[in-house]
Amino acid sequence: MTVTRVVKTGLVIVGLGQEIRGDDGAGIAAVRSWQAKYTETASHPLIRVELVETPGLALTDILAGAQVALIVDAVQSGQPAGEVSLVEESQLETYSSGTGTAHGFGVAETLSLARSLEPAKLPYRLILLGIEAGDLGLGHGLSAPVEAALPAAARFIQELICRFFLPDSTA
Amino acid sequence: MKTDIVVPALARVEGEGALYIRLKNGQVDEIQINIYEPPRFFEGLLIGRYFQEVPDLTARICGICPVAYQMSSAMALEQALDVDIAPQVSALRRLLYCGEYIQSHSLHIYMLQAPDLLGHESAISLAGEAPDLVRKALRVKKIGNELMRAIGGRSIHPVNACVGGFYRWPNRQDLTSLQADMEWCLEASIETARWAVTLPYPEFKQVYEFVALHRPDEYAILGGEVISSNNLIIPISQFEEAFLEEHIPYSNALHSRTASGSPYLTGPLARLNLNFAQLGKQARQVCEDIGFIPPLQNPYKSLLARAIELIQICAEAIELIVGYNPRGPSRSEITVKEGEGTGATEAPRGILYHRYVVSAEGMIRHARIVPPTAQNLARMEADLWSLAPNILEMPHEQATQACEHLIRSYDPCISCATHFLKLKVETNDG
Repeated sequence: MTVTRVVKTGLVIVGLGQEIRGDDGAGIAAVRSWQAKYTETASHPLIRVELVETPGLALTDILAGAQVALIVDAVQSGQPAGEVSLVEESQLETYSSGTGTAHGFGVAETLSLARSLEPAKLPYRLILLGIEAGDLGLGHGLSAPVEAALPAAARFIQELICRFFLPDSTA
Repeated sequence: MKTDIVVPALARVEGEGALYIRLKNGQVDEIQINIYEPPRFFEGLLIGRYFQEVPDLTARICGICPVAYQMSSAMALEQALDVDIAPQVSALRRLLYCGEYIQSHSLHIYMLQAPDLLGHESAISLAGEAPDLVRKALRVKKIGNELMRAIGGRSIHPVNACVGGFYRWPNRQDLTSLQADMEWCLEASIETARWAVTLPYPEFKQVYEFVALHRPDEYAILGGEVISSNNLIIPISQFEEAFLEEHIPYSNALHSRTASGSPYLTGPLARLNLNFAQLGKQARQVCEDIGFIPPLQNPYKSLLARAIELIQICAEAIELIVGYNPRGPSRSEITVKEGEGTGATEAPRGILYHRYVVSAEGMIRHARIVPPTAQNLARMEADLWSLAPNILEMPHEQATQACEHLIRSYDPCISCATHFLKLKVETNDG
């Protein structure tokens, strides 16, 4: 892939999750997988990568300063494990945080609070990429279907970057 | 209640919990706080690890108070290995702990308990009515996180603390650049205490045995003696003889009682009541201004206790930042040897006790960790026994909220559990 034109915005890619809770580490694993495969894009000076475990309210500070953000996280929506899909922020309330968050302040709650109190801190464009979790039990390592989905997730991340942030490049 | 559970289990009680109340002939017959988050066996997995791994491993027990685990474990291992700590290291440890207190207390005060007192279901809903209040909370929390990051390398599971001290001294500039924010934080904490004293706390007074660390010349956080409101004064090394843990069939978290079999309370109420004389001038002045005189015996008012502590902590943080001028090695030399040691610090939620046995090669042979939240569980159930008759006449939703609020007033980790609290009232009039 050749990067030929830089969109004059800062992009932050955030891999979220808890690696100690099985498939809840899918977001972090997917971003790592993308970094390993698409090294040129990953090292672009206007792209910041953050791998974060349960940041809670600190997510707002992680997103601050970027004009565009792509968050990659495990989700539970009843789809087959390993399914990769885009999530609109307005749909976030359908994803319950369960026990995997910092005292109930998961992505949905933190973004809701930020939109209400600190809208200037948030990127003007926020894209969420969800990887359907299978097993969220305690333990390190992804379930087989989620592990198998990592290359597709990495491609999806690259496609999104190319489509929305670096439009003159190719995936 | 005696049990025969053989497998040792330590479960940090952040997570899901349920409350079960059973009535019989109109009287409360049984109350259970069922902590069913799976046990995580940290005491087991530490065995065979090298001692220097322990602070980083135990920090993973909690994402909100990792510094407490790092400090308690480091102090216990330093005792086991006969390591002396330089005063500058102790001062920097205290400053790191200040960061943790600031972010933990502000989170609980504003985001976890205040909504209960102001009739909101969450901080998000509270933000709609009182945005400046929640904005202030977020800024205070962020400053606490920034202080932890400046010293520890990052705010969640800091990486700079080690047995013997720190891997490196933070740059002086990295700390002094936070001084202005910390001064704002002190003013914000004073406003918080003035606001906290006006909140509509439920009337609920209990007789507690308070337990806290104590030092004569400072508000104890790092070590000291263990004291109680029942005139106990013991060294930390006698903690396990004075406070006993037991397995409870319906809970993966152990319950603690004194050696005489009573539940006890550790945390901000205990600290403030037992160490009021050790508060600094700013905190004491605000207490005088708002008419606060200890003892505080209403668990709902632990919010006020945290607010007063926040003043103390912010004032200390400013002093420690101004006085920060590192000299010499950032950590002590350690000669690995066989040994056993205990350590305790006051985590934001209460006493966190560690004990380790170390082999001649520096490997952990035995680990014992007693977190504050588990220590308070028996006390929490006792409080619910006192509260239960008052709530039985309430509509179910109101009764649930009253129980959740009481539990939430104790401890942020528990409030994660009570976020999913399911209240089941079973009547058995047979």
